[in-house]
Amino acid sequence: MKHLKLFKSSLIALALASSSASFAESFAITHATIHTVTAQGVLEDATVVVEDGKVIAINPATVVADTIIDAQGKILTPGLIGSMNQLGLVEVGAVSRSRDAGDEKADITFDASLAFNPRSTVIPYSRKGGITSNVVAPHGGDDMFKGQTFVADLSGEFDSVRLSNNNVVIDLGAKSKGSRALALQKLQFELEDATKQLAKAKNTKSKKEAKEPSRQAQVINALLSGDKALVAYADRATDLLVLLQLKKQFSLDLVLVGAADAVLVAKEIADAEVPVVMAALDNLPSSFDSLHASLKNAAKLTAAGVDVVLTVNGDTHNLYQLRFHAGNAIANGLSRDAALASVTANVAEAFNLDSGTIAVGKTADLVLWSADPFELSTKVEHIWIAGKEYSTKSRQDALRDRYTSDSDMPKSYIK
Amino acid sequence: MQKFLPSLVMAALSVALTGCLQSEQQDEQIVINKNPYPSTYKVLPLQTTLIKNATVLTGTGSRMDNADVLMVDGKINKVGKNLVADGAVEIDANGKWITPGIIDVHSHLGVYPSPSVESHSDGNEMSSPNTSEVWAEHSIWPQDPGFEAAREGGITTLQILPGSANLFGGRGVTLRNVPSPTMQGMKFPDAPYGLKMACGENPKRVYGARKILPSTRMGNMAGYRMAWAKATEYKHAWERYDADYAAGKNPIAPMRDIELDTLKGVLDGDILIHNHCYKAEEMAMMIDLGKEFNYDSGTFHHAIEAYKIADMLAENGNCAAMWPDWWGFKMEAYDMVHENVAIVDAVKNSCAVVHSDSASTIQRLNQEAGKVMYRANENGFDIKPELAITWITENAAKSIGLAEKTGSLEAGKNADVVIWNQNPFSVYAQAEQVFVDGAKVYDRFDEKYQAKSDFLLGQR
Repeated sequence: MKHLKLFKSSLIALALASSSASFAESFAITHATIHTVTAQGVLEDATVVVEDGKVIAINPATVVADTIIDAQGKILTPGLIGSMNQLGLVEVGAVSRSRDAGDEKADITFDASLAFNPRSTVIPYSRKGGITSNVVAPHGGDDMFKGQTFVADLSGEFDSVRLSNNNVVIDLGAKSKGSRALALQKLQFELEDATKQLAKAKNTKSKKEAKEPSRQAQVINALLSGDKALVAYADRATDLLVLLQLKKQFSLDLVLVGAADAVLVAKEIADAEVPVVMAALDNLPSSFDSLHASLKNAAKLTAAGVDVVLTVNGDTHNLYQLRFHAGNAIANGLSRDAALASVTANVAEAFNLDSGTIAVGKTADLVLWSADPFELSTKVEHIWIAGKEYSTKSRQDALRDRYTSDSDMPKSYIK
Repeated sequence: MQKFLPSLVMAALSVALTGCLQSEQQDEQIVINKNPYPSTYKVLPLQTTLIKNATVLTGTGSRMDNADVLMVDGKINKVGKNLVADGAVEIDANGKWITPGIIDVHSHLGVYPSPSVESHSDGNEMSSPNTSEVWAEHSIWPQDPGFEAAREGGITTLQILPGSANLFGGRGVTLRNVPSPTMQGMKFPDAPYGLKMACGENPKRVYGARKILPSTRMGNMAGYRMAWAKATEYKHAWERYDADYAAGKNPIAPMRDIELDTLKGVLDGDILIHNHCYKAEEMAMMIDLGKEFNYDSGTFHHAIEAYKIADMLAENGNCAAMWPDWWGFKMEAYDMVHENVAIVDAVKNSCAVVHSDSASTIQRLNQEAGKVMYRANENGFDIKPELAITWITENAAKSIGLAEKTGSLEAGKNADVVIWNQNPFSVYAQAEQVFVDGAKVYDRFDEKYQAKSDFLLGQR
C-alpha cells in the first residue's frame, strides 16, 4: 500500500466532499492505528476504505477512493454507542413539553421512536464524545413493560432512526409500593400463557382460521421466538438469578441493565451468555439492591467472562462522557481493549446492531481521535456516521465564542 | 434607707431615675451562643512525614518539579528541594504528583446519604420558603459510605449544604473528611457557617405548587427582601439591647428567633452566603440585594451563566462554583459552556471554583477540573495544571472562609495533602495517600488506612 501514489486531501476538501452528501463517493483513511474491535485487533499504519456508508476494505492491496485522509498514525476506532438513555426524547429534563420518553398509558408496544427529534441540541454535543449511534430506551408508564428500544444515529438527519421497535424494556427489582415478587411472577405468567397460546394455535390451525394475536401478544411472541431481546433493569442478585432462570426456561434473548450486584452471580451470568449494561462510575450503595456497587465491577465482570456494556447513568445530557467512564473503568482494572469493546462491539452485540466494529461490510461509524480515546485531554478530530463526516460544533461552542469575543455592542450582536 | 421614704416619693423617683436605678440591678446579659454544637474533631495519629521527589502543585498557582513536602505537627513545614528531617517518615513519591487536599464547597453527603432511602432524605426542609433556622449539621449521618468514597478521591474538606427548595434553605457546615460516629467529630474547627440561599426555578416551583409566595422569580426576590428587612430590624434590636446594657441599663432582651439568628449572622459578617443561582441576570440581582441590605453576596453555586458576567463577579468579589459540563436538566442549566470556569478565572481578582453537588463526582473533582482545562485549551486558553488545581483547592478554601487554614501547600497551613499516582488531570489518576492535618487518613495500598462505614460492615 505504501508504494502507491496517495494524494493527501486537506480537511477542507474532505468537509466539502462530505457536505455534498453524495453516497456513491468513497474515501480512505490511511496511516491510521485502527482499533478494529474484532479478532483482527489493532492494525498499525493501516487503511480503511469506505463507500456508500459501509466499510468496503481494510488494508487493500490497492487503495481506490475519491478522497484520501492521512491519519498520521492517530487512533481510529468504531464510533462509540450509547445505550439505555433518552437521547432525542428529552430536550430539557424539567420542561414537561420537551419530554417524550414516557406516558402513563405506555405498554409493551410503546414505540417512542415516533417522537425522536434529530435536531435536539444534545445530539451535536454528544458527537464531541465520539458517539455515533445510540440505543434509546423509553421510560414507559405504569406497566412493568416500559416499551421498546430503538436505535438512532447521531447524524442529526431526519432519517436517523436506524431501527425501531428493537427490544422490549422491562423494569424489575425494588418497588416503593408492593413487592418485586409480583412483577417477576407476572412476567413468568405472561411468558407461560403466551407459550400455551402459541402451542394451542399451532394445534388448531388446520381446523379453523387462527385468530390474530393482540399487538401485546405479538410482542411477547417475539420475545419467545428470540426476535426481540428482553432488556431488564434489575440490581439485586436474586432478581438477576430469577431472570437467568426465565431465560433458560423460555430460551429468551436477555440483556441485564443496572445489575449493581451482578458481581455476586458473575459466573452464572457468564455461563448464560447474558450481557450486562452497567454504569462504570456507580460505586455507592444507593439502595439495598446495590450494596456491591464498585468502580471495579466492570473489570470483575469482564474477568468472569461477562460481556459488559458501559452506559452513562442518569441524564442523557451526559452521554458525551461515555469515553471518560470507560477510562475510569480502565483505571480500576479493565483492559483497554475490553473498555473499548464495552462502548462499541459489546453494545452492538447486545442490541443486534450493524456497527461497533471496523470490519468489511459494517456501517462506517468511525472516529479519529487526537490521542488516547479515553483520556480527558483527547478530543474527537473527525467523526463519520454511516460514511459521512459530521461536525462536533454545538450550541455550547457558539455561546463560548460569543462571550469570549470583544465588542462595543451587546454580545447579542455577535453571531 | 429607702424603706423610710413615703411611697409616693418612691414612685416618682422610680419614674424619673429608671435608668440609674436599674444600673444597680442589671440582670445577667443575654448573649447568644454562636457555637452550641462545637467541633470535637481530633487529629488522627500522625508522624512527621517527608514526601520526596514529586511534582508538586502548591495550590497557589505554582508547580515545583522534583520537590519535597515536609509535614510537622500537622502543618506544612516546608515545600522545596532536597529537604531533610530527622526522624521523619519518608515517602518516595518519584513520578507521583502532590496537591493540597481537595475541597468540595458543595456537597450533600450525610444529609442525602447512601442508601438513598426515604428515611435518609434529610437535606431539604421543604416546609417553608424561609427555613434559615435549620442547620444541615443536624441532619448529617456520619456513616454515609459516600464520605469514604470521597476520601479515596482526595477530598479532605467539604461543605455540607441543605438543598435548594427554599429561598433560604438553612445553614451549611464544613467538615473534615475523617470518620467519626458524630457530626461534631468531623466538624472543621472554627470554620464559618454558610447560609444556603436559592434563586430561580426551585423555590418558585416548590411553593408555586402550593399557591404560596414565591411562585415567580419576582416572588423569589420579594421573599428575600422581606426576610432581610425583618433580619435588619432584629439585628438593630439586639444592637440596641447590647448598647443599652453596655450603658449600664437593664434592658429587656429581644425575643430570641432561631431563624433570624442565622440572617443576623450574615448581616454581622459571621456567616457566608452560598447561593444556588444559575443565571446571569439573577446573580446580578442577588449582588444588588446584598448591597441593599448591606451583606456580602458570597459564592454563587451552579453558576452555569457566570461566564456572561465574569467581570461583575470579580469586581464584586464573588466566587462562582461551577461544574465543567452539567446541563440541560432545567432551563436555567441550558446555557452551559465547557469553558465557564476558565472564562471566570481569566478575570483579575476572580474566584473560580469547581464543585460537585454529587456523591459520585465528588470522587473525581480532579477530573472535573481537568475537563475544564483541556476543553478551554482546545479553544484559545493556555491553562496549566498549577492553575487548574486552584479551582478545587485555594479558591474553594476562599469560598468557604478557610483560606488561612487550608487549600494550599504553604508553610504554616494545615497539612492537607494528596499523593496522586500521576498527573491528577488524567482520567487514569488515582489518589494513593491522603492526609488531613498531617495524619494519613487513606492509603490505596494499605488496608489499615481504608475506613469502612458501619453501614457496609458485615454486609454480604
